[in-house]
Amino acid sequence: MAPVPSLLLIEDDDAIRTALELSLTRQGHRVATAASGEDGLKLLREQRPDLIVLDVMLPGIDGFEVCRRIRRTDQLPIILLTARNDDIDVVVGLESGADDYVVKPVQGRVLDARIRAVLRRGERESSDSATFGSLVIDRSAMTVTKNGEDLQLTPTELRLLLELSRRPGQALSRQQLLRLVWEHDYLGDSRLVDACVQRLRAKVEDVPSSPTLIRTVRGVGYRLDPPQ
Amino acid sequence: MTHEHQGGARGWSAARKGVWSRLRFTSLRLRLVVVFGLVALTAAVSASGIAYWLNRESVLTRTQDAVLRDFEREMQNRAGALPQHPTQDELQRAAGQMANSSQRFTVLLVATDPDGRTVYGSSGGLNGFSLQDVPVSLRDAVTERQKITSTNKYPHHMYWLRTVDEDTPYLVAGTRVIGGGPTGYMLKSLEPEAKDLNSLAWSLGIATALALIGSALLAHAAATTVLKPVQRLGVAARRLGEGKLDTRLRVSGTDELADLSHTFNKAAEALEKRVADMAARDEASRRFVADMSHELRTPLTAITAVTEVLEEELEFEGGGIDPMIEPAVRLVVSETRRLNDLVENLMEVTRFDAGTARLVLDDVDVADQITACIDARAWLDAVDLDAERGIHARIDPRRLDVILANLIGNALKHGGSPVRVAVREDPGEDGEGAGDGGTVVIEVRDHGPGIPEEVLPHVFDRFYKASASRPRSEGSGLGLSIALENAHIHGGEITAANSPEGGAVFTLRLPRDVSARSSEDPTGDAGDEGAEGDA
Repeated sequence: MAPVPSLLLIEDDDAIRTALELSLTRQGHRVATAASGEDGLKLLREQRPDLIVLDVMLPGIDGFEVCRRIRRTDQLPIILLTARNDDIDVVVGLESGADDYVVKPVQGRVLDARIRAVLRRGERESSDSATFGSLVIDRSAMTVTKNGEDLQLTPTELRLLLELSRRPGQALSRQQLLRLVWEHDYLGDSRLVDACVQRLRAKVEDVPSSPTLIRTVRGVGYRLDPPQ
Repeated sequence: MTHEHQGGARGWSAARKGVWSRLRFTSLRLRLVVVFGLVALTAAVSASGIAYWLNRESVLTRTQDAVLRDFEREMQNRAGALPQHPTQDELQRAAGQMANSSQRFTVLLVATDPDGRTVYGSSGGLNGFSLQDVPVSLRDAVTERQKITSTNKYPHHMYWLRTVDEDTPYLVAGTRVIGGGPTGYMLKSLEPEAKDLNSLAWSLGIATALALIGSALLAHAAATTVLKPVQRLGVAARRLGEGKLDTRLRVSGTDELADLSHTFNKAAEALEKRVADMAARDEASRRFVADMSHELRTPLTAITAVTEVLEEELEFEGGGIDPMIEPAVRLVVSETRRLNDLVENLMEVTRFDAGTARLVLDDVDVADQITACIDARAWLDAVDLDAERGIHARIDPRRLDVILANLIGNALKHGGSPVRVAVREDPGEDGEGAGDGGTVVIEVRDHGPGIPEEVLPHVFDRFYKASASRPRSEGSGLGLSIALENAHIHGGEITAANSPEGGAVFTLRLPRDVSARSSEDPTGDAGDEGAEGDA
């Protein structure tokens, strides 16, 4: 990982793009910008940034579609900029694979904090591994294999799995997970957890609709069951 | 207990009111029935009275004439044939023969026998017809000898009268054979005639009763034909009052009620059109506010990002900013933040108005949420928190934070510290329908001067300022209104009051489990409530 994180900002409004670029640069990021989804996807292939800040309302292909296209090949973190925090936007954004979202008007510091939190999720930690059935989590290599095959997880999904696997059999509330994984304050949006768990299940469970590893604990949150 | 009593009294008075209104409703029906009944009764009674009286007279007169004629003939034929002083036996035989006539009456003959004794001859029957049975006045009239004048050719006439003995009517008649014969009395039972008349009276009575019933039924039917449309009108008016403005009446006929229905329909139509117009205008202005706040967001995002850069420059020691323009920069920074808050609040309000606000529920510890809310705003020193951990609720934490921040912020701004925040659980009163989870009650009390009485009803109004001359405050003027909307969307409530010990008290009540309370979409309700509050 590069010492200075490089970001790709996809935003169609000139004023916002310029202002956010200025603000983020001052926070110590390397920022590349694109004014449309198509340009953003092209830049992504050329520059390989560490993270994408993506506006939802874009001319041409919209932010959700850009998000979906990136997810088809890449697992790099995506933060959405939603103009409205209308719930449908947030839900659709999270379903299309975004890791986090920030509502406009964005405060530069909040965005910076979110960016740093997302980037931290990919950092390596203690070197051990855990096995849950056919699932092997290698914490030193930061890889997850299922039946010997490598799983493509986003840093957020990986971090969520790591936090759950660190306390096998113990239920973690959504608020706890929001603090541990997203580093949100006490007002974190629990739908982030739900959406991420859905995506994670789709990748690690044999049958995502009837999960055997990541179980829902009604009224509390989620639990990773220890191997049987 | 007091509460229960009040509830009971209210229920009772409501029931009484219901009975009253029903009575009042039927009174027109009642009056119609009574009037119809009276008319029918008068007509039937007078008609049958006259009929009975006429009948009675004609029946009695006919019977009486026949009997008297017969009796007179028998007197002439039998008693007249007797000697002047007949013996007891002769008298008795003559009486028997007379009684054998077609009219079946009982005869009593009185005469003096050759020895000067008074002798009686009776035909028997009728329990022994004796002279005692003949009224004295009749006896006197019969025996009295009258002067013979030009108009009165005979000294004796036949007299008769009707008497009633042991409920049986009788015709009694008497006469004297002219020229010193026996005096004859006759008794004829009028029972068959009385029976006929009785049955006639019965028939007439039954006819009257039938007429009465018929008239009552007619009155009922008439009342129904009048009241049915009135009732329909009432139902329609109530529906209209409930806001179902498309209510219309079917107009049939051309009477006054049809006219009224027609007027009602026209009024409802006009009302519907007017309300639709107003709703459209309202909708347009709301959409304008919503669009406007959306549009404001884009430049605000850019400005906010840049003002943060400026802010950092200000905080940077030995700053790169000219001291001359530093106040200007500070003003831009602080006002941008204000503008941000205002737009944020406007967005929130428009979401409530449009009914698009949604709850994002999570299980939270209420005390933890309050602590975090106070902590995040650095209010820990100014707020005295009385809350035990362990009160869990399934609510939208972000909305609870908005409510708390607005209530506590308002208390700090207008009341001054210390602000006391108390949390308690209400297990849920059975009458409140709070669901099985009960209610969480959060009380925010300040130690300021309290809220003036005239302001109290308006504290939740949008942009309401306690006095026009008051300088604009820090807030957007939407805070308490938004807090209230956020409580409503949870199915909760906020009330404002003044504490007897001084200071204002805002009480927030939230159901512990919103999802259990309303399985249907709770936001639809909240949207409606928001719209009502705005009107």
